[in-house]
Amino acid sequence: MEASRRDLMGLAVGGLGAVGVIGVLYPLLKTFAPSAASLAGATVEVDVASIPEGQVRVVSWKGKPVFVVHLPQGFQWNGKVKEERNVKLLQGQDAYAIVAVCTHLGCVPLWKPQGEADYKFPVFHCPCHGGFYSPWGDNIAGPPPRPLYVPPQKREGGKLIIGEAGFVKELT
Amino acid sequence: MLGRIGRWLDERAHLSELWQSQMIDYKVPKNLTFPYAFGVMALVAFAIQIISGIFLTMYYQPNVHLAFDSANYTIMKEAPFMWLIRHVHAAGANFFLAVVYLHIFTGIYYNAYKKPRELTWIVGWLIYFVLLTTALTGYLLPWGQLSYWGMVVTSEIPTSIDSAPIIGKLKLGELVSVLMKGGYEIGQITLNRFFGLHIWLLPLILLALVGIHLYLVRAAGISNPEGKEIDKKKEGVPFHPYMTLKEGAYLMGYLAVFFFFVFFYMHHFLPPDNYDPANPFKTPAHIAPEWYLLAYYTIFRSIPDKFLGFVAFNLTLVFLLILPFLDFSPMRSARNRPLFFIMFIVLVISAMALTILGTMPPTPTNAMLGLTFTAGLFAFFLSLPIISIIEWGWYKAKGGDKQ
Amino acid sequence: MIKAVFFTVLTVAFFYIIWINNIFAPHEHYEMPAQYAKIAEDVSYAKEGKQLFEQNCQSCHSVRYDAVYISSVQANPKLKTLQEQYGKVLPKNVYEAVFYEDLMGLKESFGKVPPDLSTMYLVKGKEYLYNFILEPQKVLPGTSMPAVMAGRPEETAKIVAYLKSVAEPSPEEKNKRVLMGVGTIAYLIVMGILLWVWRARVLKRMGLH
Repeated sequence: MEASRRDLMGLAVGGLGAVGVIGVLYPLLKTFAPSAASLAGATVEVDVASIPEGQVRVVSWKGKPVFVVHLPQGFQWNGKVKEERNVKLLQGQDAYAIVAVCTHLGCVPLWKPQGEADYKFPVFHCPCHGGFYSPWGDNIAGPPPRPLYVPPQKREGGKLIIGEAGFVKELT
Repeated sequence: MLGRIGRWLDERAHLSELWQSQMIDYKVPKNLTFPYAFGVMALVAFAIQIISGIFLTMYYQPNVHLAFDSANYTIMKEAPFMWLIRHVHAAGANFFLAVVYLHIFTGIYYNAYKKPRELTWIVGWLIYFVLLTTALTGYLLPWGQLSYWGMVVTSEIPTSIDSAPIIGKLKLGELVSVLMKGGYEIGQITLNRFFGLHIWLLPLILLALVGIHLYLVRAAGISNPEGKEIDKKKEGVPFHPYMTLKEGAYLMGYLAVFFFFVFFYMHHFLPPDNYDPANPFKTPAHIAPEWYLLAYYTIFRSIPDKFLGFVAFNLTLVFLLILPFLDFSPMRSARNRPLFFIMFIVLVISAMALTILGTMPPTPTNAMLGLTFTAGLFAFFLSLPIISIIEWGWYKAKGGDKQ
Repeated sequence: MIKAVFFTVLTVAFFYIIWINNIFAPHEHYEMPAQYAKIAEDVSYAKEGKQLFEQNCQSCHSVRYDAVYISSVQANPKLKTLQEQYGKVLPKNVYEAVFYEDLMGLKESFGKVPPDLSTMYLVKGKEYLYNFILEPQKVLPGTSMPAVMAGRPEETAKIVAYLKSVAEPSPEEKNKRVLMGVGTIAYLIVMGILLWVWRARVLKRMGLH
């Protein structure tokens, strides 16, 4: 009886002590969490007309490079992709934004409007390990495991607003 | 599984032997009073300062243009929970010094500085001195009005030497002042220098001194409120669990008070005037040192002559250092020494009154009061040799020296 | 026992005086009518206060921690490019260097660059700010601050509420902190009592009590 009561006390002290340790560690580790500014959903506005047709501009959104693509009228593209994901999402948009971070190892792909290597049509080419993406960011060939990410975006007249839910609701 | 890992470690590191010899076989007197816990509180306060300080350096920028914003915007608003760390560090500094003062006064009261513990006392004094320097250097870092002007005043104090009769010609004070600031004004170099001192040099010195202090406490044995050395084999109780759990419980109480201030009352530790960025062209209306320096400051400003004031407040520090040699009485602990007890009360009241006077405007009345309590403070130190001689007489009359 | 009580009372009284309420030190005190004090306290007026600030104060004063800069800077297209580079809250040295001429222009008219007001609420408190904004000359004779808000006490209080909202954590954040504080202190007290009780048990078993 005495022994079990003692054990209970010891357990209570030990358990409460563990809670205390966690209580100290929590705020200390939490200081490494993203700061208030980086959490605030920054939005970037891009004037579509300022990008020549068939060209790409790189803007910064939440600290990441983002491609803003402006496609020419009646743009046709004949390549074959591994997975038709972004092209469906971005259907019918002449200007859209995709996150310019290769899904393989994080390099920034290059825009090749004249094509590159075997691909004689506009592609994104990642110089690090030779990944290829369609203009919509769907992966064609190389090591990338999935299409480029698409940030939430909205079209308002001549302006593309990145970071606000519109024709793309959330980061996919 | 955990037990096996534990045994594996123990076979190699002999941790349980260390625990047995240092915590359980280490015997302490049973009659230690509450004030003995101030030592362990100071140790914990030191640990808190180091941990919170390390986290603060991750966000603080030692740059005159950015320091204020990094402290008051990045740390207080941007980074999660850094406000808490800053509150802990600012309140912690004050609590650390408060506990150290209480620890010092406890040591004086129980005569813990007497043979064989003189060295413990001297190392403790060094800790106190380095701690004051650490506090002073850290105070500049937020680069607010109080930080800046506090340092302007502090770096002017050594120039008091220059108004001395003969050595004044050497302009030693100005030299010290310029060396402190790294130039003639407080600027980027001063800030960087103080930052380096505050986060590297002084804490490392403190760490070493605290280690030596603890070793000496162990080597000489802990003092006793009754003023007699105990026979540890017969009277001592094991340090663990007797003392650890008791001081652990006291520590929780201490931390509860500490966190009350951290969460609900930072007004004194992060004073309003320091939320005003440093402005070299405008002195704040009320400028006084932090409370832990106020007693010295009052001594300094109550004495009409600048050089004498400087000498007087440094003399206080020196007296504190040579306390074990001023008091050479064979009797120990204020419990057994009525004369010493009376003078101890004079010391406590004088020190407190000098501190409070430091917060008051320097009117002639206050200067008079300042002089009176300065006299009280000095009376304590100077009376010690006299008391010692009287007590030697009593001791011999009782036949004490024949034992 | 008497000695213990005496020293405890002395110590507590001492720290109460120097840390909490120094009854000996001089304090400046400013009054403000209760109904306006209530507005100035209430950060839900901050939005209105910000608009009033933009109309009345922004031509000279910035609130950098809220990314509010003086009007001439706000109108400068350079600001946006800089903000893209450095973040909404520009580093102080960048701000002061790029917009040096704007700030010096103000210095020429007022004798000094009007201070940034990001942390002013913490420095001065609501009573001082209210009185100073309403009647600058009365509170600080000789100041170059014009009495732009003269005769508009309610709007002044709203501006103070805005400054408070920038300087202090939001009410939700404050509540969170109170909760954390109460939790921490309660934890420490419970832990202390538990340790004490446990110690009594352990010592009894060891025959040391």
